[in-house]
Amino acid sequence: MNRRSRVGKVRKIKVTVEGGWVFHTLTFSLYNIQEYSMLKYIGLRLIHSLFVLFGLSLLIFFIARVMPGDPARVALGPLATEEQVQKLREEIHLDKPFPVQYYYWLRSLLKGDLGRSLYTKRPIVKDLNEYLPATLELVLCSFIISLVFGQVTGVLAGYFRNSWFDGLSRLVSYIGVATPSFVMAIFLLLVFSHILGFIPAVGRISIILRPPPRVTGFIILDSLIAGQFKVALNGLKHIILPALSLAVAHIAQEGRVTRSSIVDNIQKDYVATHVVHGVPTRSVIFKYLLKPSLIPTVSIMGLDFAFIIANAFLVELVFMWPGFARYAVTVMLNKDLNAIVAVVLIVGATFAIVNLIVDIVVSFLDPRIRLQRRGG
Amino acid sequence: MHTKSPLLEIKDLSVSFKVFEGDLKVLNGVNLTINEGEKVGLVGETGCGKTTTIKSVLRVLPSPPARITGGEIFYRGRDILKLKKREIPSIRRGEISAIFQDPLTSLNPVFTIGYQLQEIIKHSLRQQGIEEVSKKELKSRAASLLKETGMPDPERILKSYPIQLSGGMRQRVCISEALRVTVKLLLADEPTTNLDVTIQDQILRRLDELVEKRGTSILFITHSLGVVRHLTHRVYIMYAGNIVETAHTKELFSNPLHPYTRGLLKTVPKLTGEGVSEGIQGRIPNYLNPPEGCRFHPRCGDKMEICINKKPPLFNQGENQMVACFLYGR
Repeated sequence: MNRRSRVGKVRKIKVTVEGGWVFHTLTFSLYNIQEYSMLKYIGLRLIHSLFVLFGLSLLIFFIARVMPGDPARVALGPLATEEQVQKLREEIHLDKPFPVQYYYWLRSLLKGDLGRSLYTKRPIVKDLNEYLPATLELVLCSFIISLVFGQVTGVLAGYFRNSWFDGLSRLVSYIGVATPSFVMAIFLLLVFSHILGFIPAVGRISIILRPPPRVTGFIILDSLIAGQFKVALNGLKHIILPALSLAVAHIAQEGRVTRSSIVDNIQKDYVATHVVHGVPTRSVIFKYLLKPSLIPTVSIMGLDFAFIIANAFLVELVFMWPGFARYAVTVMLNKDLNAIVAVVLIVGATFAIVNLIVDIVVSFLDPRIRLQRRGG
Repeated sequence: MHTKSPLLEIKDLSVSFKVFEGDLKVLNGVNLTINEGEKVGLVGETGCGKTTTIKSVLRVLPSPPARITGGEIFYRGRDILKLKKREIPSIRRGEISAIFQDPLTSLNPVFTIGYQLQEIIKHSLRQQGIEEVSKKELKSRAASLLKETGMPDPERILKSYPIQLSGGMRQRVCISEALRVTVKLLLADEPTTNLDVTIQDQILRRLDELVEKRGTSILFITHSLGVVRHLTHRVYIMYAGNIVETAHTKELFSNPLHPYTRGLLKTVPKLTGEGVSEGIQGRIPNYLNPPEGCRFHPRCGDKMEICINKKPPLFNQGENQMVACFLYGR
């Protein structure tokens, strides 16, 4: 009942029963669902995500604490004396009960302190600061590529279903989905760098160029901000192959999903209504048909985005991309506990944030979700 | 009451649907005429091809699988089936309009009522040469259209999404969309089938008023004889892709000629208490292999030799009645 009262309009109704008993009944009025506005929905969704993040931090903390091995001992090495280890334990609150430990851990986390990596011997935040933007730039780039190509092929294949274009896109999609991204990476590298030779093979920019002053950590964006167009172009040339090899599978998958929902929706009565009432074909396809058809695709795109961040490892390796996925695998192989915690936290938080964005976009596309108060 | 010049003339329209097993010969030479200002009913069982007929007129048959295998559809002297693709919108925007069966699915669920309605109005106005219409003007037009259909609080409705409205309200929106400008012909495909009875009555009355006021011709597609009796001048009875009888509404009810029509009228339960009749034996034929000759003959009580081999043409009976049955001519 309380849950609903946040959402719609609750009216108090007096019900008088024989004998003079009066009940106050709360009724939820379905007819006021209009008041459940976009803003309110986003607000609720935000609160929801905060809970998810809180749960995530609890989980990670718990996992880090139940893992075998004494962090203090690991940090100081086997040569340290028992007193030194005990002193460090007290310093980093390991001698206190779990809830207190969690409090200290969360406090430093919120201050932006993730501890020190045992492998790079640097503060983890510094590592992340260096590697995360590289991967984010890459993933964002491949996301844009898959968005544009996936949607265009999906819409065309759906509208001209069972035509030669549909058949061709289906064939190419199957190949795209079936090819692992690192195979695609090696193939692209071979063709464009080695044989054709007009695209540089590795790294984020050519070594002879000086990277632009750091603002966002995205090289292309930073050099544009600094007005160095040559550097931006160079960065773009470097990013295009890895981004494409990550994107291919997603172009194929998202294109298929859009195609099938277009095919579903094109038979709906409302499309016929728009057509019969003389709405131009372009408007019918790209507005009235595309908007409802995008809903399943958007959900998949969100998952894909978070998925790539964690799985870009092989592609980053092939292109020598100094990115987060490579860092993540390296710290895991080195049993670098603090860094692992940070990595898991980042991946989890990315999932939560992307899901939030997806929910907001979907609720913008589909009023039924906002209005039926699902997930509130 | 109305002038005699034909507005829409369907001549020998045949449509088949290609399916895996073969061709479904759904329409088998339909003949139908609507005069200017006339209100015409088209009655038949579910699946007899009523909707296919109007979809052919509107050129929205899904093709493939549907294929028009013969016939002509003249609208004010022009054959609609021969129009080029880019000529069709002009007919849709100002001449022929339609209301579909299911109001629950004929509105786009992810756009507000106002957005859909205003876009439709905008294109229809453009067709009439009114290029620049302000948003405010469009909105007030949309609101007044809704008001005309008896919708309370149109301003609020414009901001709503279809799921926020009841079935009756949605059908009123559909009517507003269909009658956004003064169209010549309205094709109403069972506009009240999915609504409850009291709402049906209200909406039909309102629709009738609106059509009368605008002088629009209307083709009422329905399987309810009661609706036809009160709202139309003339009726066509359809059976398995054929027009079997047409007459002025009054004459048809007082003097039905075709065995199918007679059977149909008998199925209407009477308040005088004879109970419900047994109806017509058998069921609508399979379109994959429809019966040769008259498609009704396997169910007909007055079947003759000729009915099995030859398709009956429409015979004139009196001034305004035509019937496709060999009982009335050879």
